[in-house]
Amino acid sequence: MVNIDELREQFLNKDFDAREFVLDPLKMVAVARASGESRPEFTDPDHPDFHAPPAFLCSLASGRHLPIDFPRLGGIPMDGGKAVTCHAPARPGKTLIGKTHLHDIYDKKGRSGRMILVVARMELYDEDNTHLASADSRMVIRERSDS
Amino acid sequence: MSVKTIHDVEFGVELPSFEPNTDLQLCGDFAEAVGWPRGRFSDHEEAQKQGLPGALVPGIMGMGFLTTTIHNWSENAKVEHIDTVFRAPMMAGQSLIIGAVVTDIDEDEGLVEMDMTLKNQAGETRVFGTATVRLPIE
Repeated sequence: MVNIDELREQFLNKDFDAREFVLDPLKMVAVARASGESRPEFTDPDHPDFHAPPAFLCSLASGRHLPIDFPRLGGIPMDGGKAVTCHAPARPGKTLIGKTHLHDIYDKKGRSGRMILVVARMELYDEDNTHLASADSRMVIRERSDS
Repeated sequence: MSVKTIHDVEFGVELPSFEPNTDLQLCGDFAEAVGWPRGRFSDHEEAQKQGLPGALVPGIMGMGFLTTTIHNWSENAKVEHIDTVFRAPMMAGQSLIIGAVVTDIDEDEGLVEMDMTLKNQAGETRVFGTATVRLPIE
């Protein structure tokens, strides 16, 4: 059985991925409109406060979710949910940097065995290193009986 | 009653809902805009070939529906934090029912806490979550 404390010690709060983004205003609008959004700051690229809605920021975190040396605990990780914390508007046309680390690792025991939950957090910064948002991806892994 | 400041918010109030559009074209458009292949979200046959019961509503599109509910409720609302748990798939083309209720109000900070759900027509919860929303104090 995997030792959660050891995993936490080894993997939490260490950046394992960094990537650059330039937000495309048309894609931001497509996401906002498909979500039923009508506010111009999300649907009109010419609006002075045009910026990305939370769901779009969340989509930026769909890259690598686990460090390359993270142990295989069982089956393919399932998507257990997403969260976004917005600190400042993310606007199109400028280079943004997303840095990803594991924010939390914990377990839940159920009738069918133990589930391990891993939260990968991508922190999004602009070129001035202003922290714009954090996007969490929660992965659920059913532990193999022999791991 | 329109909600313009934190003082307009009542504990326990349910936010007005809307019926989100989950048609195949729109789900495919959403997927494409976030860089995912659109097939499993816009084509039932293609989704079934991938082992799915049918085309799905992208999970984070559900987050979009919940955020829109908040924005529709108050033109001054800013979503500071939203956390969604994907309990079960949402099928494209099927109706969804949005629920949102105010669970806490901090009038000093201008913050509102909400519980939110997306249910299918059978009343089964597909997505649930919480949100923290900022409103003007004055």
